[in-house]
Amino acid sequence: MAAISSRIKAYLGRIGPSLVLLAAAVFFIAPILSTARAAFHKVPTILLDRHTWFKKWSLEGVRRAFDEEFFWPTLALSLKLALVTVLITMALLVPTALFVHLRLPKARALVEFLTVLPYVVPPIALVAGVAAFFRPNARWFLNSDFSLAPFYVVMAMPFTYRAIDAGIKAIDVRTLVDASRSLGGSWATTLRKALLPNMASSLLSSAFLTATVVLGEFTIASSLAKNTFATFSFEYFSRDAQGGVGLALLTLLATTALLGLMTVATRSKSRKAATVTRF
Amino acid sequence: MSNTVPNPIANGPVASRERRGWAWLGLLPFLAFLAIFLVLPTLGVIRKAFLDNNHSYTTKGFTDAISMEGAAFWNSLKISLITAFLGVIFGTTLAYAAATAKRPKWLRSLVSAFSGVAANMGGIILAFLFLTLLGRQGLGTKILTDNGWDPYKSWFSINDFSGVVLVYMYFQIPLMVLVTLPAIDGLKASWREASANLGGTTFTYWRRVGLPVLAPSMLGGFLLLFANAYSAYATAYALNTQSNLVPIKISFFLRGDVTGRSPAPFALATWMILFMAVSMGGYLVLRKRAERWQQSAAA
Repeated sequence: MAAISSRIKAYLGRIGPSLVLLAAAVFFIAPILSTARAAFHKVPTILLDRHTWFKKWSLEGVRRAFDEEFFWPTLALSLKLALVTVLITMALLVPTALFVHLRLPKARALVEFLTVLPYVVPPIALVAGVAAFFRPNARWFLNSDFSLAPFYVVMAMPFTYRAIDAGIKAIDVRTLVDASRSLGGSWATTLRKALLPNMASSLLSSAFLTATVVLGEFTIASSLAKNTFATFSFEYFSRDAQGGVGLALLTLLATTALLGLMTVATRSKSRKAATVTRF
Repeated sequence: MSNTVPNPIANGPVASRERRGWAWLGLLPFLAFLAIFLVLPTLGVIRKAFLDNNHSYTTKGFTDAISMEGAAFWNSLKISLITAFLGVIFGTTLAYAAATAKRPKWLRSLVSAFSGVAANMGGIILAFLFLTLLGRQGLGTKILTDNGWDPYKSWFSINDFSGVVLVYMYFQIPLMVLVTLPAIDGLKASWREASANLGGTTFTYWRRVGLPVLAPSMLGGFLLLFANAYSAYATAYALNTQSNLVPIKISFFLRGDVTGRSPAPFALATWMILFMAVSMGGYLVLRKRAERWQQSAAA
């Protein structure tokens, strides 16, 4: 009897948490479902009832989005921006982080502090900074679409540096370097054959996260009047709500897939790297 | 708490004084990059906030920003405080429910993975999601109206304050889950048993053990969520381009002012940077504290 009553008690104790999880599921899934309906169901909500619910489902809205003149060019630009941002990030932060670990441990606190500074200057303030500093001093720089990339590097820096730093801390950099150097490896060989493969998971996770941030970034791109995928999505939504919503759904799926890939790619290696987020 | 933190410098190389002087040059690319793309623009903002039309320095623009855009300040502050507070409550509750659930096994990782996606989402996509649900023609609005409650005839509208609060919860709650989940994992079952063995009730356990351990994460999370909401631009803009919020006002003034002379957007941005410095600074300090706890709890 005692065993049964304690089991009942355990079940009762789970009612609260279960309700919390259920409510969360409804709150987080409902907008996605309604978006899917709006994207694939060509019936205005006012006319929605028992009779119209199963009619007029189609992929037409999404297909219209693909046919848009600016769909491919803006997507291409955003993908290129993501790539360039990731490359600059790696080229700038990996050597810096390694250098701090190997040669200048004294500077660690300073560098860490500097890399979280972008938290203090959110994108909209950075836009004001562009207006205050680049407009008067280096207008030519802003003409290129790729002028966005360095700002994205800055925006992503707090978490990219943290991920790279965690990757370095997780391996014994000094031993790897000493071993490689004493076997006659050059610095380049050491980096390529000993360090980077061991840091791959943390580099990958920061790259994926950077890519998702760049692909969705709207604030700076729209303020500098660049035609990225996000600004196109916004403009397209105001013209064609169904197509725009279809596009939003696809973006959401792609982002989820990217972040899912990141989790899979990093799960086996280091737990710390796997929990990297924007913050 | 008196664990000795291993000195990271201890096993580093003992470079000679001369070499160390040169070593700082290795940071040059990094420092130059940050100077050009972050520090100088930021200083530019602050300088312009204190410049008037005649290029003389004054604090007038800085104080005018508050007196003339008081409503925007107040709205931004209210939205940030409300969504941060609710985010801490719901996020911690959700994280606790997910962390303590024994079945199904994948539940915890699902919640944490989904939180990673949702916390990073924001932006215009999030606005679209909610417009299809609770916009005037949204599916949820329709369902609620059909069941006797028209949200637009009472207090709710997706384009105003209530809408922004609701939509922000979609990234605030998951962000809080990510912040507190590690801390909740750090709560050991043995502590609870120890508390019970000493005659403590559930209430005593939470008051004396649970909450004190979670406190740095919860407080830090609050500051992080506050900063997150205060600086969010894209979602609010996509919901309503006319929202009277500080980020939207900054953008509005920047677009409207072609001459770049008016201090208004720069003063607002400077105030925002101050808010961010205080809240994010507090968050980072508390995060360090919470992490130290988790490390020593895990050891």
